[in-house]
Amino acid sequence: MKSTLAIGVCILFIFVFGSFNLTLEKRVDNFTLRNVNGKNVSTQDYKDAKGFIVIFTCNHCPFAKLYTNRFNELNTKYSNFNVPLIAINSMDTLMYEEETFELMQQKAKKEKFNFPYLQDLTQAVGKLFEAQHTPMAFVIWKENNEWIIKYKGAVDDNGAHPKLANSYISKAVDELLVGNPVSNSETESFGCAIFYRK
Amino acid sequence: MRNSLLILGLIILFNSNASAQSYNTLWIPDTLTGTNFNLTIKDTFAQIVNTGNQTITGGINGKFWGPTLIINKGDLVNMNVQNDLNDSTTIHWHGMHLPAVMDGGPHQIIPPGTLWQPYWEVKNQASTLWYHPHMHEMSQEQITKGIGGFIIVRDAAEAALALPRKYGVDDIPIAITDRDFNTQNQFSIVPYGDSIMANMTLRAQYSVPAQYVRLRLLNGAIETSYNLGFSDNRSFYIIGTDGGLLAAPLLINGATPRFLLSAGERVEILVNFSGQAGSSVFLKAYNQSLGNFIPGGESFPNGPFASFLGHTNYNIVKLNVTNATANPITSVPTSLVTNTYPLEQDAALTRIITLSDSTGVTSVPILGPNAFILGHQLFNFNTINHSIPLNQTEVWELKSTSIFGHPFHIHDVEFKILTINGATAPTYQQGWKDVVLVEGGKTVRFIAKFDDYADATHPFMYHCHIALHEDEGMMGQFVVTDINSVNEISKEEIPITLFPNPAHDKLFVEFKNQAQSAYYVSIKDFLGRTKLMLPQPYLKDGIDISTLVKGVYTISIMEKASKQVVTKTFIVN
Repeated sequence: MKSTLAIGVCILFIFVFGSFNLTLEKRVDNFTLRNVNGKNVSTQDYKDAKGFIVIFTCNHCPFAKLYTNRFNELNTKYSNFNVPLIAINSMDTLMYEEETFELMQQKAKKEKFNFPYLQDLTQAVGKLFEAQHTPMAFVIWKENNEWIIKYKGAVDDNGAHPKLANSYISKAVDELLVGNPVSNSETESFGCAIFYRK
Repeated sequence: MRNSLLILGLIILFNSNASAQSYNTLWIPDTLTGTNFNLTIKDTFAQIVNTGNQTITGGINGKFWGPTLIINKGDLVNMNVQNDLNDSTTIHWHGMHLPAVMDGGPHQIIPPGTLWQPYWEVKNQASTLWYHPHMHEMSQEQITKGIGGFIIVRDAAEAALALPRKYGVDDIPIAITDRDFNTQNQFSIVPYGDSIMANMTLRAQYSVPAQYVRLRLLNGAIETSYNLGFSDNRSFYIIGTDGGLLAAPLLINGATPRFLLSAGERVEILVNFSGQAGSSVFLKAYNQSLGNFIPGGESFPNGPFASFLGHTNYNIVKLNVTNATANPITSVPTSLVTNTYPLEQDAALTRIITLSDSTGVTSVPILGPNAFILGHQLFNFNTINHSIPLNQTEVWELKSTSIFGHPFHIHDVEFKILTINGATAPTYQQGWKDVVLVEGGKTVRFIAKFDDYADATHPFMYHCHIALHEDEGMMGQFVVTDINSVNEISKEEIPITLFPNPAHDKLFVEFKNQAQSAYYVSIKDFLGRTKLMLPQPYLKDGIDISTLVKGVYTISIMEKASKQVVTKTFIVN
């Protein structure tokens, strides 16, 4: 019952602002993180990139583990359109031993990641995106030389059965590539919670 | 929310069609037996809603809702509880009489990546208990995720009776709960769900043989009480309550045979399906007859307490009668077990616990209009609300001024209800209990003896078993103290030898002063991650460190009498 007031405020808010979504269209800065090959990767390295598929994922999460092949496929497909995929691990390595850089390297090698798998050791990039879970997907797009979040949420609507899945990311990128607004710009993300150190 | 609208629509559709494909087979949890139990808690996922995405759940040993632990009275059981969630948790052995330090309440926090090894001698009589998380302020979320399981205690008295005992055949555990699924098929963390689940199965059905069948029913819900009965209004027998079997089977009959099962409560019933092969019947919740202030009896159209199941009747599990098994149970025993309850004349005192709404209580921060509290105060981790001398018999008087009904649960003991609002409790509530619904404005009195386990450090809890209320602070704690031992506390040296060092597989800890012993041992790696939590370990055989990788570790040993902590470093090679 405590949240009744909050809900009331939200309803009022929605009433006043309609469906306009303040969380999206958020600008994010360029970032540089260490890749599993030991080299730094920066969004600025991709001179021709129209946008990025940014995936927050991790080593241990059972639900995130379902997605490796899909990430490879998304990267293969959309790199051709200059929208490469970047995976970021923002998990707290002190709390979760399975999230160390060495284990990230092993995972990327074993599962043949064709995309950068970056460690966000300070969790700064996770906080920048307000990433909540692994996996959680973002599509950022270059507008006026700035990166704007155009989609955030789940990767698709079926973790265990890729063939049955509707890819929210593909849809968003496809729409952006032809110059349309993203029709489904936010879905709920879920999986393993990312806990941030203060 | 409101995929649930769709789900409810589907449920209604399925119920009206009543076609066999509409139902899912009731999942029967695996069993674990013996005296050593390995329970690994981890995030997992399950295809719960038939179409669309999997639901993220908590699980034990890879399964959503954990295995049923079958244990025997008199055995020394050892639990190896590995927390592989990415969050801290606890596991409480609900209904079990054991030392407070083994109890798994909010003080026995298991950090991620840690192995917790409680153990105890099973003193409970044959009964249906359960285990679930008890992490303060996170109970609702972690219970919603489905972390938990049944415990079946067996003993000689129960084994001597001609009762159904074939697990999953004529002795069927059913955890009843409700959940709300959001648009992505994920659990919403809400007090009332829109979809009923039996053993975490939506629209469950199960085959029962044409004979007497024992159902072990657990209310595993966050908040809802279920007013249970069968769709054909058949009579049945209640044979056991929370803490074990009744003296004799109790026939529940009449025009509408019902009984109310609130959050945390268990009941064992015998249902006669003899000669009914080919027929079906539903176990149902008849919550339309519940008052507005019984959990599950309200009907909020909107807001966080809105539920399609509120104040309605609904099916829980469809039971399809098939042919009888070999050697079926075809009759009901005339008597069951002898229960010796504490006598009111032996009670040293009456302890009054108030249940109230926080409105107007100045010592309580504003929680909103309807936060609920015990003893006019919110739960505080560092406040022991009551100290009870070991072996004391007490009457607890639960006096409610709250507007709402609260299922009150106490750890450590099973109790006997004396009166509810001055009158004798309903017959079906007159056995051993550890949860009792205290309706708004009413007074419940029970009697219990606090024996066997004294510990001035670790408390037991008492609380409302509505997980939301418990998380918000409707909880208190008590210690059971042995007055003969409190004068021995002194600040003397605690010389300890640790060997071998470096160690491999086993680490031995020896107290030079043989009068000293370990109360708690914890082992951390060089980054401070807790790896092992060992309450009152038996050190003679050494500590099993085979799960530790090579490296430098610290071991902290809290001495039993003085509670002083000694910390040493050792190497695993």
